[in-house]
Formats: sequence, structure tokens, C-alpha cells
Amino acid sequence: MGLLYGLIAVGLALIFGLMDVTNFAHGEFLMIAMYLSFFLFAFFAIDPLLSAPLVAAALFVFGAVIYLLIVRFAMRAKANAGMVQIFTTFGLAIVMRGLAQFFFTPDYRSIPQSWLGGKTISIAGIFLPEPQLVGALVSMAAFAGLYLFIHRTDFGRAIEATREDPGAVALVGIDKNRVFAFGWGLGAALVGLAGAIMASFFYIYPDVGASFALIAYVTVALGGFGSVFGAFAGGIVVGLVEATTALVLPPSLKSVGIYAVYLLVVFIRPRGLFGSI
Amino acid sequence: MDKDFAARRRRDLIIAAVLAAIAALTPLFVKDVVVQNILILTLMYAGLSQSWNILSGYCGQISLGHALYFGLGAYTTELLFTKFGVLPWFGMLAGGVVSALIAMGLGYPFFRLRGHYFVIATIVIAEIGLLLFHNWEWAGAAMGITIPIRGDSWLKFQFLRTKLPYFYFALVLCCLAWFVTWWLEDSKWGFWWRAVKDNPEAAESLGVVVFNSKMGAAAVSAFLVAVGGSFYAQFVSYIDPESVMGFQFSLLMALPAVLGGIGTLWGPVLGAAILIPLTELTRFKFGGSGRGVDLIVYGTLIVLISLALPRGLLSLFSRPKKTGAAR
Amino acid sequence: MTITRRDVLLGATATAALVPLAARAQTSEVVIGVIYPFSGGSAQQGVDAQKAYETALEVINKDTDFDLPLGKGEGLPGLGGAKIRLVFADHQADPQKGRAEAERLITQEKVCAIIGTYQSAVAVTVSQICERYQVPFVSADNSSPSLHRRGLKYYFRAAPHDEMYSGAMFDFFDAMKKKGTKIETLSLFHEDTIFGTDSGNAQAKIAGERGYKIVTDIKYRANSPSLSAEVQQLKSANADVLMPSSYTTDGILLVKTMAELGYKPNAIVAQDAGFSEKALYDAVGDKLEGVISRGTFSLDLAQKRPMVGKINDMFKTRSGKDFNDLTSRQFMGLIILADAISRAKSTDGEKIRDALAATDLPGEQTIMPWKRVKFDEMGQNNDADPVLLQYVGGRFVTIFPPQAAIAEAIWPMK
Repeated sequence: MGLLYGLIAVGLALIFGLMDVTNFAHGEFLMIAMYLSFFLFAFFAIDPLLSAPLVAAALFVFGAVIYLLIVRFAMRAKANAGMVQIFTTFGLAIVMRGLAQFFFTPDYRSIPQSWLGGKTISIAGIFLPEPQLVGALVSMAAFAGLYLFIHRTDFGRAIEATREDPGAVALVGIDKNRVFAFGWGLGAALVGLAGAIMASFFYIYPDVGASFALIAYVTVALGGFGSVFGAFAGGIVVGLVEATTALVLPPSLKSVGIYAVYLLVVFIRPRGLFGSI
Repeated sequence: MDKDFAARRRRDLIIAAVLAAIAALTPLFVKDVVVQNILILTLMYAGLSQSWNILSGYCGQISLGHALYFGLGAYTTELLFTKFGVLPWFGMLAGGVVSALIAMGLGYPFFRLRGHYFVIATIVIAEIGLLLFHNWEWAGAAMGITIPIRGDSWLKFQFLRTKLPYFYFALVLCCLAWFVTWWLEDSKWGFWWRAVKDNPEAAESLGVVVFNSKMGAAAVSAFLVAVGGSFYAQFVSYIDPESVMGFQFSLLMALPAVLGGIGTLWGPVLGAAILIPLTELTRFKFGGSGRGVDLIVYGTLIVLISLALPRGLLSLFSRPKKTGAAR
Repeated sequence: MTITRRDVLLGATATAALVPLAARAQTSEVVIGVIYPFSGGSAQQGVDAQKAYETALEVINKDTDFDLPLGKGEGLPGLGGAKIRLVFADHQADPQKGRAEAERLITQEKVCAIIGTYQSAVAVTVSQICERYQVPFVSADNSSPSLHRRGLKYYFRAAPHDEMYSGAMFDFFDAMKKKGTKIETLSLFHEDTIFGTDSGNAQAKIAGERGYKIVTDIKYRANSPSLSAEVQQLKSANADVLMPSSYTTDGILLVKTMAELGYKPNAIVAQDAGFSEKALYDAVGDKLEGVISRGTFSLDLAQKRPMVGKINDMFKTRSGKDFNDLTSRQFMGLIILADAISRAKSTDGEKIRDALAATDLPGEQTIMPWKRVKFDEMGQNNDADPVLLQYVGGRFVTIFPPQAAIAEAIWPMK
């Protein structure tokens, strides 16, 4: 489960952490991806696992468009940039939920039969549900890919450079908007992957993103902003803490463990486990 | 500059007095209980947002966890009332003090955090509070607390047949929060906060003084919000964790200030005056449709206002000048 | 919404003023307020409820031929054939908003009664407002037992509450034990809002009284992103019966997680809610063969009472779903309320209240398996017998109590 949180968080890590833009609509990106995956299944009988690349591609476009249409202007705000970002994306989240309810109705959906759903591999008495297993693999691959991308390609370095000093970057001829639009697209595409995998075992309705959004923020912050590896580590810590807390405290309090660990970590290390900003 | 500042402060005070007087007279003309209800909520959120603004606007420590203090105020009051028969007026004070103490206790580690780390910490601490109350059997857990109604009484601050006392209390709360803000603007604390916002690094060297002023802001802010919470509990006469400590309250407290103009004296009032009636009306008009239209309208407005007017609606009115901390 | 400046006087005079106003109002139309969550996490229930009420409206206002109160002829006979109009309002699961909406419906829309609300927390504040304005509140589908015990005069609930439901479950266990089935240990699994807490408490209490051992009592956070840790605990406790009280979302996740972790209990006896929702069976029905859920409604009844099937078809054309435990209660709630208004021959709140209190409707004239509808002094109908249903071959069959049952329980479940 922790790796799944990680997978949801990795897209956020890119947007939130690397570009330093608050995105309160992250959960809603996830919701859109899950719906897409559901409809591809319902109308074209494409298994979520197969449709994952399609969903990711669609989300890439969606993320980039959202950036160009809305977020770009929020970042340009001369005053209170932080608050403007928080509330623009928060308003966006509300609109997305409203639109989802308008077009998709508030009915609970889920994909009854998929290649992954409900299947389990049992190794020496330990049950490993396949969706989670695949989720974990995809998530590790995504992290590795993103890590290499950020640190080994010009484009990745451009993103980081743009966050740190947009002015200087403009001087060497990099268009900030193109870089960030690409970054948003990529972040959204990663959420798209997460959504497609989750659609195979989770229920879908307009508010579904809310349950995951806060965990994703905490995961990113726990790992530390600006660090892809941090988000990965954060995901694992969150998953472990959740499982352990549920053994000690009543399960309805299991999130308390996650939150407490976050507070503890930032009190000791104000920039998270591996944060650079 | 100093003279201008003093003149502006006098002018603000006069405007506030006039507005408060007009507000106090509205019940003479507005007899419709639904409109009264909207007015009460507007005043309450104006007051809450004003209090939030002290810490998050003036002091620059953006908190999205103020629901914690709101809920603590509500719960302290009602637990004392239903379990020990302590009158809500004392409960209100007790709730305020408890919240202020907790805010200071939390401030100690929290103020070391920067930016997103701080914001997320505030969200998380409020969530912890919510979960704890959700599981605390003695405090009613998920069942919440129903406030026993024994008829109209000032002593118990509960009224069945009229909303006027609630209206005036909300008005007083709103004025109090405004006045505290007004007073702080010209105080030593206000000075430190401006210094911190203008130049965080330089202010860092002042260390302890600044730290203390932040603690003060947190305590005052939490106290006022808790009073608002206990008012809300008496007004609704039923509380459960979700309805007084949910994350939405943290946002609802911040929104008016953000839309009106964060870190300004008038922003929260203006924001609440527009936002709350709008929320209620969109719900009345579209809420029954079951198709989420109210959400779409509401969300779009938030996006548009935050994008078009990053300094808040207030910037429409003011000529470009340096007003208080809103630089 | 237009804000009328009509001078509704405040306070005590307001209620007094409403009486002549309402009495003078055109009797060709009777307005009833319907308060539900139409946005947010439980919007689906609100939208389904809307369809159920519109179905009831069709039965009342149009010329139909059913053996229900008001099932024949158009409109309300007691008010010269007046038609009923419904005004829907959204409470977004927030007690404060429910309160504000109730007040708006009463003072501005001039409703003569209110029906609602799905969430019990909202029913608390809505019923308080109704009490204050002396307007009857029909609690169609709230199941929290604390609601009717607050001494409200204007509160009515025709359907059973959670203690009655849980009682029926244990009656069933007792009956099964007599037949030699081994039922000793129970696992409770309930969510942490009012519904789950109330249900869990009631089950724990009755289990104690009747000597069943609760091996795990898990309270979990509603809408959790994951239930693996919880299911792990259920699995290791491995009780004879698993008793979940969950809404749809958590229900789906619970069943999927159980399948993933390879937990197959002997029997699941669910406290309705999610386990009566079509969405849940669409999602995980194949894993739920043999699950037992309590309910107040069963389509089996159509065999004995053909009108149940016909009305269900009417609902189905509107919503694309069969009646379930919630929508059938909502349908019946409005019929009972409208019948009382017709008998009261008035839209005055107090007269409707008295007519509701005097309701005595034989079970045959409902679409429910109830004995009859008659409210006690607290506004609760104690003759609303719950039934237990088992999901077999893609549909529900009634297995308990014996007089309503059409099949024997399959135990253990597959």
C-alpha cells in the first residue's frame, strides 16, 4: 500500500516539490484518471492495465492544459503567490468535482472484473494482492524513471533551474512556460498511471480524490520537497506506519500515526527526510 | 507618512463605527429569518476570518488548521455545559483559553517550519484533533453532543424563538476581531510582523522578540476563533466532530480573507460579505438539483477572483498606496 | 431564490402568523420540503431519494390504482383533490446547513411538513427546527435510535431503527442455533460516523445480553483509502459471523480487500446501508454470494402483493434501479405523510401532527413487510418488522422472520 501512496505522491512530488507550486486539485486529477479508466473499460472493454498508458497520455494533455489555462496565471501573481496558488487550485478542485457529478452522476462505480482485481499471490502464507503488487512495480519504475529524468536529462535540469531562477533561465533561452507545462503534464500523467491501477480495485465517485490527497501531501512533505527519492521514501514510511499504527491503536485512528510521524520528522528535520528546499 | 498613517487609522475607526451601527440596526428592517441566518453566518465568518488573518495575514504564518481551535471552542463549551452544568459564557472563555494555550504550545515547534512544511503541519494537527474527538467516547465520539434546549435564556445563551441575540453576538465578535486587528496594526507586534514580512532574514536576527510576537499572534487568533466556535455550537445547538472540526472550516475561515485581501484590515469583512451570501444563494438556487451545479458556480468564482485579484477584492477600492501590512 | 419581504413576524408570533397564512393558502397545492445531500460524498443517496419521492408523488397526484393510502384517484381527497409539490434542498451532510435549509423551506417555501435526511446528524438539527416551527418532520430513512428519544412532538419515524434491526439479527442467530448451527463468536466491523457507532453499540449490547462472544470489535475511519490492516485483524480473529456496518464505498473496499487477503468468513450478516446498494453488488456481487443483510424491504413481497412489483417498475423507469432498503422507506415515508395531510384536511402543522399521531395503517396497505404503521408517543413505529435477506443467485430472498421468509438460509455462505 505504501508504494501506491508513493505512486500517487510521485506526480505530486514533481508538481509540488520540484516546481514549488501548490496543487490542491491533485486528488481530483486522480479522480479524473480513475473515471477515464472506468469508461474505457465500460465502453471498450479495455482492461485498466492496458488503458493505463492511454489514461496517462490523456492526463498529460490535461495537466499541461490546466497549467497553461490557469496555473500559469496563478504563478504570475505579484502578491501572495502562495495563497493564490492554494485557492486557485482549491477552486479548481471544487469545479472538477462539480463537473464530475454533473456529467458522471454521483453513482459509485467500480470495475467488477479485471486482470488484476481480486487476485492474490500467496507466498509462504503472506498474501500479496496483485493490484498492489503491480502498483508497487509500476511505482518503482516511475520513481526510477523520474529520478533519471530529473538528474540525467537537460529537460529535467531545466525544470529545476527554472524553479530556482526563472530570470536566468530565460536568458539562456528556455521558455519557462514550456518547461512548466511539460512538468505539469508529466506530473498529471503519473497520477494518471496511479489512477488507472487503482481503478482496478478501488471504487470511483466524484469525491474519491479527497481520501488520498492529504496522504499524498503528507507523503511528499515527509520525504522533503525537491527530492524525488524523498517522495518514494515517504511513501514507504507512510505505508509502514499505517500498518503498524492499526495494530497498536484502534484502526479508526490509524491516520493519526502517519500525521504524528510527519510532525515528528519535520520537528527534527524541518525540510523533511531528504528535502532540499 | 506617520501622519498619513495616523489619519488613516482614525478614518478606519470611524468607518468601522458607522458600519457597525448600520449593521446593528438591520434587524429593524430585516425580519425574514432566512436573511437573518445569512447575516449571522456572514458576521461570524467575517469575525473568524479576521482572527485567522492576524496569524496568517499579518504575521505571514499561513495556517490551514484553524478548525482545530474552532472545534476546541465548541467542544470545551458544550462538554462543560452538558457534563458539569457550567454556563456557556464561562465555557466560551475556557474554550478560548484552552485554544490559546494549545496554539502557543504548538507554536513552539511549528514556527521553526517554513512554507509548505508549516501549512501541511497545521492541516495535519487539525486532522489529528478531528480523529481524536471522533474516537473519544466521553465526548460523544461520532454521535456528537446535542445541546439540551430548555427555552430562551440569556444565562444559557440559547434562544428558540428569535435569532436576534445570536445576531448581536456575531456582530460583537466581528467588531471585536476587527478592533483587535486594528489595535495590533499600530502595536509593537504589528511592527515586528511587518518587519518579518518585508525582510525575513533581517528579522531572523531579532530572534526572540519576533518569535514572541508570533506566539502572541497565534494565541490571540486561536482565542477569537475558539469563541467563534462556541458561539457556533450554541447557535446550531448540535455539534459533532465533522461539523465543527472538519478541514472545510479551516478553508472557510481563510477564504474570505484571501478573497477580500489577505493581511489587510478590511479584507476579511469584505470577503465574508460577498462570499457567504453567495455560498448560501447558490446552494438555495442550484443545490436541490443534485447535479453539482452549485459546486461548479462556487468553484469557478473562487478561481476567477484569486486569479484576477491576487491582492483580493479590496485592491479594487484602494488607490495604490501602502496600507498597513498589505504591501 | 427570491427573498420576499413578506413580514413574517419573529419568534412566537412567527408560528402564530404562519397558521392563518397557511390556512389561507390555496389548497390546490400542498408543499412538502425534502432535505437530502445532493452534493458531496453521499450525493448518490440524495439523487436516488429524489427519484423515490417523485415516484411516490406520481402515485399520489396521478390517477393510479394501488391499495395504498392515496393510491387511487388524483391528489389529496381530504383537501379537495389538492396536489402535492415537493421542494428539494441540499444539506451537504452538514447539520448547520440542514438547519438553515429547514428554516428556509418553512418560512419561504411555506412547506407544511419536511421529510429527510439520510444522515442522522442532520436529522438532529432539522427536527429541532421543525419542532420549533411546529411543522412535522418525517424521518424517512434515518436509523439512529437516539433520534426519537429526545421527546420531540413533531418527530415521526415509520421505519425501524438500528436496535430493532440488530435485534432481528440476533433473533435469527438464536433460531439458527436451535437448528444446530454453531454461532458463538462474532466480529463487529463498523465505520466511525453516527450510523456505524450506533449500530456497533447496539450489536455489542445485544450480543452481551444473549451470550455471544465478540472476538473483534473494529471501528474504522469512513472512506479510508485502505482497509488492509483492518481485514488482517478480522482474518486472524476468524469469528463465526462477520457483522459489517458500512456505507457503499467502504463496503466495496472491504469485500475487495477480503478477497485479496484471502479471508472468507462463514457468514456475513450486514447492517444494510452499503450492503443494500446496487452499486456494491455491481462491483463485487460475485464475491458476495450468500451474504445476509437486514432490511425493511424485499422485492419478494411482490409475489404476495403484486402492487409492490408495479410500483418498483415505476421507480425503475425513473432511476434504472430496483427499490432498495432506503428508497422504499423514502417512498413509504411520503405516502404516510401525505395520507396524514389528507386526513388532517388542513396544511396546519399541528393538525397534520395530530393526524400523523393517529395513523393506523395495516401492513397490507404498504409496500413493506411491516405489521402495521402506528406511532408510539415518541413518534416511533414499533410494528415495522425488519427482515433478513440473503443474496442468492444475483437477487435477494427473504429468509427471516419465518412468516415473511420464502427460503431457508444457506449457511455457511459460499
